[in-house]
Amino acid sequence: LLQKKSDVYSVEDLWDKRSRKTDIGDEEEKYKDLKGNKKKRRQKTLRKKWRTFYSLSFSLSFGIQDDHKLSASELEEKYGTSVNKGLSSARAAEILARDGPNSLTPPKATPEIVKFLKQMVGGFSILLWIGAVFSWISFGIQLAQGAESPFDNLYLGVVLALVVILTGIFAYYQEAKSTNIMASFSKMIPQQALVIRDAEKKELPADQLVVGDIVEIKGGDRIPADIRLIFTQGCKVDNSSLTGESEPQSRSCDFTHENPLETRNIAFYSTTCVEGTATGIVINTGDRTVIGRIASLTSGVGNEKTPIAIEIEHFVYLVAGVAISIGVLFFIISVSMRYKILDSIIFLIGIIVANVPEGLLATVTVSLSLTAKRMAKKNCLVKNLEAVETLGSTSIICSDKTGTLTQNRMTVAHLWFDNQIYSADTSEDQTTQPFDQSSPSWTALSKIVTLCNRAEFRPGQENLPIMKRVVVGDASETALLKFAEVILGDVMSIRARNRKVAEIPFNSTNKFQLSIHETDDPNDKRFLLVMKGAPERILERCSTIMINGKEEPLDSEKAEAFQTAYMELGGLGERVLGFCHLYLPEDEFPDTYPFDTDSMNFPTSNLCFVGLLSMIDPPRSTVPDAVSKCRSAGIKVIMVTGDHPITAKAIAKSVGIISATSETVEDIAKRLNIPVEQVNRREATAAVVNGMELKDMSLQQLDEILCNHSEIVFARTSPQQKLIIVEGCQRQGAVVAVTGDGVNDSPALKKADIGIAMGIAGSDAAKNAADMVLLDDNFASIVTGVEEGRLIFDNLKKTIAYTLTKNIAELCPFLIYIIASIPMPIGTITILFIDLGTDIIPSVALAYEKAESDIMNRRPRNKRKDRLVNEQLAVYSYLQIGIMQSVGAFITYFTVYAEQGFLPSTLLGVRVDWENNAINDFEDSYGQQWTKYQRMYLQWTGYTAFFVSITIQQVADLIIRKTRRNSIFQQGLFRNKVIWVGIFSQIGIALILTYGLGHVTALNFTPLRFQYWFVAVPFAILIWVYDEVRKLFIRRYPGSWWDKNMYY
Amino acid sequence: MGSKTWADLAREMKMFLWNPEERTCLGRTAKSWGLIFLFYFIFYTCLAGMFAFCLYVMLLTLSPYTPRYRDRVSPPGVMIRPYLNGFTIAFNVSQPGTWQPYVDSMHHFLAAYDDKVQEEKNIECISGRYFIQGGNESEEKKACQFKRSLLQNCSGIEDPTFGYSKGQPCILLKMNRIIGYRPGAGVPVSVDCKVQKGNESNLRSVDFYPGNGTFDLMYYPYYGKLTHVNYTSPLVAMHFTDVKKNYMVPIQCSLNGKGF
Repeated sequence: LLQKKSDVYSVEDLWDKRSRKTDIGDEEEKYKDLKGNKKKRRQKTLRKKWRTFYSLSFSLSFGIQDDHKLSASELEEKYGTSVNKGLSSARAAEILARDGPNSLTPPKATPEIVKFLKQMVGGFSILLWIGAVFSWISFGIQLAQGAESPFDNLYLGVVLALVVILTGIFAYYQEAKSTNIMASFSKMIPQQALVIRDAEKKELPADQLVVGDIVEIKGGDRIPADIRLIFTQGCKVDNSSLTGESEPQSRSCDFTHENPLETRNIAFYSTTCVEGTATGIVINTGDRTVIGRIASLTSGVGNEKTPIAIEIEHFVYLVAGVAISIGVLFFIISVSMRYKILDSIIFLIGIIVANVPEGLLATVTVSLSLTAKRMAKKNCLVKNLEAVETLGSTSIICSDKTGTLTQNRMTVAHLWFDNQIYSADTSEDQTTQPFDQSSPSWTALSKIVTLCNRAEFRPGQENLPIMKRVVVGDASETALLKFAEVILGDVMSIRARNRKVAEIPFNSTNKFQLSIHETDDPNDKRFLLVMKGAPERILERCSTIMINGKEEPLDSEKAEAFQTAYMELGGLGERVLGFCHLYLPEDEFPDTYPFDTDSMNFPTSNLCFVGLLSMIDPPRSTVPDAVSKCRSAGIKVIMVTGDHPITAKAIAKSVGIISATSETVEDIAKRLNIPVEQVNRREATAAVVNGMELKDMSLQQLDEILCNHSEIVFARTSPQQKLIIVEGCQRQGAVVAVTGDGVNDSPALKKADIGIAMGIAGSDAAKNAADMVLLDDNFASIVTGVEEGRLIFDNLKKTIAYTLTKNIAELCPFLIYIIASIPMPIGTITILFIDLGTDIIPSVALAYEKAESDIMNRRPRNKRKDRLVNEQLAVYSYLQIGIMQSVGAFITYFTVYAEQGFLPSTLLGVRVDWENNAINDFEDSYGQQWTKYQRMYLQWTGYTAFFVSITIQQVADLIIRKTRRNSIFQQGLFRNKVIWVGIFSQIGIALILTYGLGHVTALNFTPLRFQYWFVAVPFAILIWVYDEVRKLFIRRYPGSWWDKNMYY
Repeated sequence: MGSKTWADLAREMKMFLWNPEERTCLGRTAKSWGLIFLFYFIFYTCLAGMFAFCLYVMLLTLSPYTPRYRDRVSPPGVMIRPYLNGFTIAFNVSQPGTWQPYVDSMHHFLAAYDDKVQEEKNIECISGRYFIQGGNESEEKKACQFKRSLLQNCSGIEDPTFGYSKGQPCILLKMNRIIGYRPGAGVPVSVDCKVQKGNESNLRSVDFYPGNGTFDLMYYPYYGKLTHVNYTSPLVAMHFTDVKKNYMVPIQCSLNGKGF
């Protein structure tokens, strides 16, 4: 038990360094509290999930051997290598053969055949398979009975099976295509590593590394494997992708911690070396690395079903339910009407085929992939087709700060000199700075900024905009360099003219950086000493302060002003630097004076304070607008960041996540000057929650925060806590989108309803776990994604309404055929031609329909109430428009028969004789006599007429489905060109089938007299007019009975 | 979804069927149901009215005497008598029970061709040319006599068993009626039978009545059942006097004439 406990500690260590006090008992306690809760079941699974998470983490810490405790020579012995010579090539090849390449195994993909089979049995396929099997059974029976034309049923079965297989292949192909876009991601530029082998330094592809290799890394490299360091020089690594710590961690050769994840002498695969150099022995490669273990851990978190998948499932159940109940009902009716069982089975097949919208699921797939394509153009790459819609129903976005909301680079935001704060331009493409630059103090300050800076542009980038150039140097220096370059122009030549004679780089003990330069004024032989650093430390060293170019003594009043400015800038969450200088007197420091930075033989106090500069990672310029769009779209944006609360809050305020007027509990306390505890928490709309507070919170407390505050920032959170936050949001019933880039974000990405990974900054593991990848890492792209997602939901509704309507017109003939015993009005094959022929392109065309109103001004849909296919949609399509279509088609049917001699009254009850093969003198209403074949041919003409009528009325149906509320004339009849492509294709296919293929007997089409195309036109017009009236009433009487029952 | 137990589901179902709190049945109150039913009653009544009206208008455009199109019904088909359930005729001469149904069928069919009936209802026409009756479409048309006695051996007058008792069955052939149709374009249509598949010697001789097995032109054209009330289709009787016995002989009889 003791052993186990310590493991848990190590896990805690891994995920959150700041919470070592937390005992496993506390965790247990929390769960106990929850047991009393009503949602017992939920908690149980939650608990289970935590357990798996922990247990997976145990194995993580066990995974690393004791290598960090061993000395270099012990390691050499253990891995049979030499620090100087490295492995021999032969030995390396041996180990490579044993361990495999040093790369992460991609997550186990479902075998292609399983994916394919899934398509074959998913959705309506089962129903159609049943239909096919019934056809074959009845074929078998008929064959055994020696009936004359049993092959009809065999063919029908084959056709049904083909339909399933073809739509299955199509859906599979569509899915495969969208996965392929993703696959291109994994093919990244192969990483190189500098390895010592055979006593030589070699560049090798990183996947060739083996355990025991000696690798050298330097600033900027990605660590190619888990490495035990044996030599370091100022080495710092960025572990943020692994642990979420945003600060670079320094690395050394010393064993500093029992926990391999904490000790300083191990660098982990896929983290980056920020600065310095190091040499180390590879101790783990590929999937055995810590990152490899976490990547496989992600599969432990269940993938949630996408909202659209749930909706489609719901819809399939609904339609299948209708099909089966009508089928069974009429099976019973036909049996009790003394039809033969075999005939009843054939009716059943017909009813199923008529009821199932065979082409619909393929259409939905196409519509989704069209939207996915459109989104990809707007930098949202969707991995999982169904996730296209998820963004649209998103109600909470948990967004990262760095890189997503911000530009991910330090930029000078404010300056303070001459007792005044100036703001600088922080936009992405600045070329000038607008603040007042006339003061001589600014000239002095700019000189310090330029000279006291070690950062340099990489050569060869003169043509690039300044903001895009690559800089060698740390983030603040880069910011200062670019700032100076923008204002002063060529910084490098200024530095050349002011030759540097001595320099003390920044270190954490003295917290300043100093350099001494010659001046570019040939008449001034003095040296200029410039210094920058932590403002309070700089101020300590100053005795004067520059005001308008004149040095004035630094009295308490001026120091007070400095303090105020410093506090103010710090309060904005900005990193503040102080600048000072001193012209060294020429007589004391002549040209040849030997400056020695170790003995510091020059003054470092009584300097002249010049000013302050503050920097921040500024928000992207598009983000505030995007956040306000989210807000009007009813989406709550929660910031989750590892950054400091003050910075996080400042950014949140500047992008509008915390709006200008809202206050946190702390703000209210400050304003009213009362302790935080006395503040009514309900009054605060905003909340900034620290990771440490979150650690001690029970789930209820978290729920309370998520519920009661509309504007929330989580700061100093570990990526681990992100998962808790996501689960908390989901407990509120929200559809949660999460952005993330690190490996450790992947559980949260997976847990989220839609995980959004960053395309540029994101790790592969994050991209794998995510459903969507933002190619430009920009939050604003999410908003366009939301818009597209909402649009596709609306348009799918239209598509489904359009498709379901004609199912009634296909079903009614069967029902009336059974009840009234009229000649069959439409054949099963003909139905398939409508479902998979004429109707396909028009229903896809509806995916191109523009939104009816500003979809970004309504709330996200409630996933429990706003169904894709609701009662109104089904009832309106089935019982109103569908019935109208049936009536129109029946008019055509009766017209065709009547004009050939069979008046409607004659047709009732004739089925048995009509279908009797031995009656060749069947009498019509005029006394003429018909053979069986003549009757069949007439029946096929009837099929064709019925088919044509449905097609014509589907044109009207297509037009009315363009809108659900607005008039067609408001929407514009011609705005969506694709609809017209649909209409023309529909009519074109119908023409080809009737006139082109009208002589192919098996298809049951016959050439049709031209006038029959127009019989159903009045009904098509009626459908249009009726729907316009429906929409008019809906618009005019919102909330009325009509609105409630007629708006779908 | 899967977390719901059956009991929960049953309770939900019951609640859905009848919710005593909100007094709703299937999710709607009585008033709501009433409105829905009223709406659909009006809606469907209007639709039914429209359907009836359209059908009525369509029927108004039709002539009661001649269908608008006759392209699907021509060329005319043929049909045989006796007709029981199919086109296979098989019987045992020594067992009258096996052929009696055929004989009954023949008698039943030929009752309308009794000489007396024909003389009473129909007129005698001039053989060898179409009996074209002009005048108003709605005028009653006269029909030509086709007396049963014309069928001679197959008339059932001399041999009331139509040869079935001797193993030499008569089969009647009639051409389907088509309004206004003039078969043969001036030359009477004749009937001709042969073995469809197999040995031609199986069918050794067939006698045709009347004449050489032709449909006389005077029976055409047909004017429809409304005005041509007493029209009796002309027949050709085929007397299979020598067919191979105890053997399935597929026979194909065809009409020969112009315009088929």
